[in-house]
Amino acid sequence: MFKLVWQNLIAHPIRSVLTAASVCIAILLLCLLRSIVTTLDAGIQASSAARLIVMSSVSLFVDMPISYQQRIATVEGVTTIGKWQWFGGVYQDPSNFFAQFAVDPEHMFDMYPECELDQASRERFLATRNGCIIGKQLADKFKWKAGDKIPLTGALFPHPDGGAWDFEVCGVYTSKAANFDDRTMMFQWKYFEETLRAGGQDPGVGVYIFRTAPGANVERIMSEVVAMFANGPMSVRCAPESEFQRMFISMMGDIPMLLGWIGTAVFVALLLGCVNTMLMAGREQIHDVGIFKALGFSNAAAFRILIAQSMILCTLGGIAGIGLTLALKPMIATAIAAMFPVFLVETSTLVLAVVLTIFLGVAAGMIPAWRASRLKPVDALRAGA
Amino acid sequence: MLIPLNYTLRSLFVRKAATLLSVFGIGVTVAIFAGVLALQQGFTTMFTGHGRTDVAVFLRPGATGETDSQFSRERGMKLIKSLSAIEQTPNGPLASMETYSGVLRKRVDGGEVNVAFRGVQPATFAIRGDEIRILEGRKFDPGADEVIVGRRLVGRMQDCAVGDVVVINTTPFRVVGIFDSDGPFVSEIWTDTERALAVLDSYGPNRVIARLVPGTDVKALGELLEKDKEAPAKVMTERDFLESQTKMLGGILLGLGMALAVIMGVGAAFTAINTMLSAIASRTNEIGILLATGFRPIPIFIAFMLETLLLCVLGGVAGCLLVLPINGIETGTMNGQTFTEVAFAFRVTPIVIGAAIFFSVLLGMVGGLWPALRACRMTPTEALRRT
Repeated sequence: MFKLVWQNLIAHPIRSVLTAASVCIAILLLCLLRSIVTTLDAGIQASSAARLIVMSSVSLFVDMPISYQQRIATVEGVTTIGKWQWFGGVYQDPSNFFAQFAVDPEHMFDMYPECELDQASRERFLATRNGCIIGKQLADKFKWKAGDKIPLTGALFPHPDGGAWDFEVCGVYTSKAANFDDRTMMFQWKYFEETLRAGGQDPGVGVYIFRTAPGANVERIMSEVVAMFANGPMSVRCAPESEFQRMFISMMGDIPMLLGWIGTAVFVALLLGCVNTMLMAGREQIHDVGIFKALGFSNAAAFRILIAQSMILCTLGGIAGIGLTLALKPMIATAIAAMFPVFLVETSTLVLAVVLTIFLGVAAGMIPAWRASRLKPVDALRAGA
Repeated sequence: MLIPLNYTLRSLFVRKAATLLSVFGIGVTVAIFAGVLALQQGFTTMFTGHGRTDVAVFLRPGATGETDSQFSRERGMKLIKSLSAIEQTPNGPLASMETYSGVLRKRVDGGEVNVAFRGVQPATFAIRGDEIRILEGRKFDPGADEVIVGRRLVGRMQDCAVGDVVVINTTPFRVVGIFDSDGPFVSEIWTDTERALAVLDSYGPNRVIARLVPGTDVKALGELLEKDKEAPAKVMTERDFLESQTKMLGGILLGLGMALAVIMGVGAAFTAINTMLSAIASRTNEIGILLATGFRPIPIFIAFMLETLLLCVLGGVAGCLLVLPINGIETGTMNGQTFTEVAFAFRVTPIVIGAAIFFSVLLGMVGGLWPALRACRMTPTEALRRT
């Protein structure tokens, strides 16, 4: 019986291959679109509950005074605290966009165990005044390695000399979690502050990130920090890292929702295509079905022969689609990195792809299979002649 | 002699179910492509369609936009006073120092976004004229803690009705008016420059805008100011400026549209090929008769090519019909360049329709080629023999 199914499939090799290929393409698209959305959520899931973030209550556009660091450190339960400032430098051309932050290097690695960097590079980073560390993806993109110099034009913070800022790469880090991307550059706060002060400018702080002692009452700490600066000069908001990540995602507006819609539409378009192909296959096999039935095959057998064809085509296509998703993952991650810096394909997406593939196979094969099972041998034989 | 068009039309009509399914499948594909294009069109036309060429934007040298540009107040004043290219009125030069920042606001349907918060001087209204139309309430009073909000924010963001209070840093601002504008300003909150500088604890404005004396060469002015010792600045027309602000998101949307078009297009072309191959297989006899009655292979090729094209263009039309209802639907997303949310409507422009139809014709060409070649290469005896 399987041989019969197989013969039918290879009787029309082109059609079979094209159908499986279009299933493959649809599953690939579906996996990609869903992965973009799930990766955003993964960032929230992976964020640490022990890290809290303080920012201006207005928005990230507005800085806080540098003096806040010491005052926040006095709140009971706060263990380590570090500054982060968005640098907004331009490497050669604005289209080479990547994120750069001035950070306190001594706390950087305690604060973010997700950031993996060998000991020698860490020490070098601490010891180099204009040192910086860069993420693996970033290093790959621009072919940077330790020891290289990166000149950045300070679009937001022009260098007082009027020239470019010069950074020296001290190490290339890799990220271990979805909440920390590896296409960012981090450099010494001290170099940043001293350079600006030499030009008569007072730098502000974009966000403070602090860790709390185990068992500390986070709610109390957050409200204490907010109350501390409620009357200015810059009022703040304080939230766990997950909340902060959520804010970033909600800033993207309707884009994730639109991607979901596109994914659904892709699936519908594909379903129509598959149903069409299977209907055509069914129609061509009416004569054959008549012969089988005349030979004594049951209705159920006729049903099975047709639905099996649909299932096999869809499954082969689905497997190819999943395989292609995994194979193309690194390429796609680079392509969309400007908007979505992290790209992960979750197991749940692959499971969904399998489920949808099976559903597709059944749905597309259902009508022709049902028709075949109801055919009377005489009619079938007459129709095919 | 060509095969009558009627043959092609009837062939499609005879296979109603198959034709309809193919048309729908291709239609959905075209609709997705057109939908993403409509999004891109809505976004870019909002920016590029409304920038003025007689208004110049002055930024700090090296700045890529308003967010990373900043002057001291003195430098802004110096710039305004020293330039003879700025149009003069009895009330002084037609130039305004503006601040630009984002303020986190809650969306009505949950979540928070950065809304653009702009401080303007009275001259802004003089420069803009009826570009800025007050729909409800009034303008803010200079120096008062009052704001006016753009029309697109009403109904999307909380606290955006006249009489509501918006707290920025520690200062409560009262909403005194709703304004409309064709450009990106409709997603912004406006107040007085001085008040904005004070509450954001900021040392100076982010840009200067000015109406130029007719006939001013902006390019030459830009080269002159770039080298200026006292108050260097980067100058461009407002139209060029707005265009530069759309590159990132506009490019991403265009890229997304193209990527989807290519990937889904391959799938749709497969569907078309399948449909046509099956059609040809079941009509081998007919083709034999056509050949036997003296039709040459080329007319047969053309007939089948035409049939595929028709199938795909019908799909294209279906796709356009599917996508039409989204015209005018408002949506919002973050503009990566300004880091603030822009609200805009999907716009199914003639360009979108044209691209969608072109796309479907392309699908027909690619999808029809092989089946049509196959059909026209048959020999009459062989085709007639096969049942």
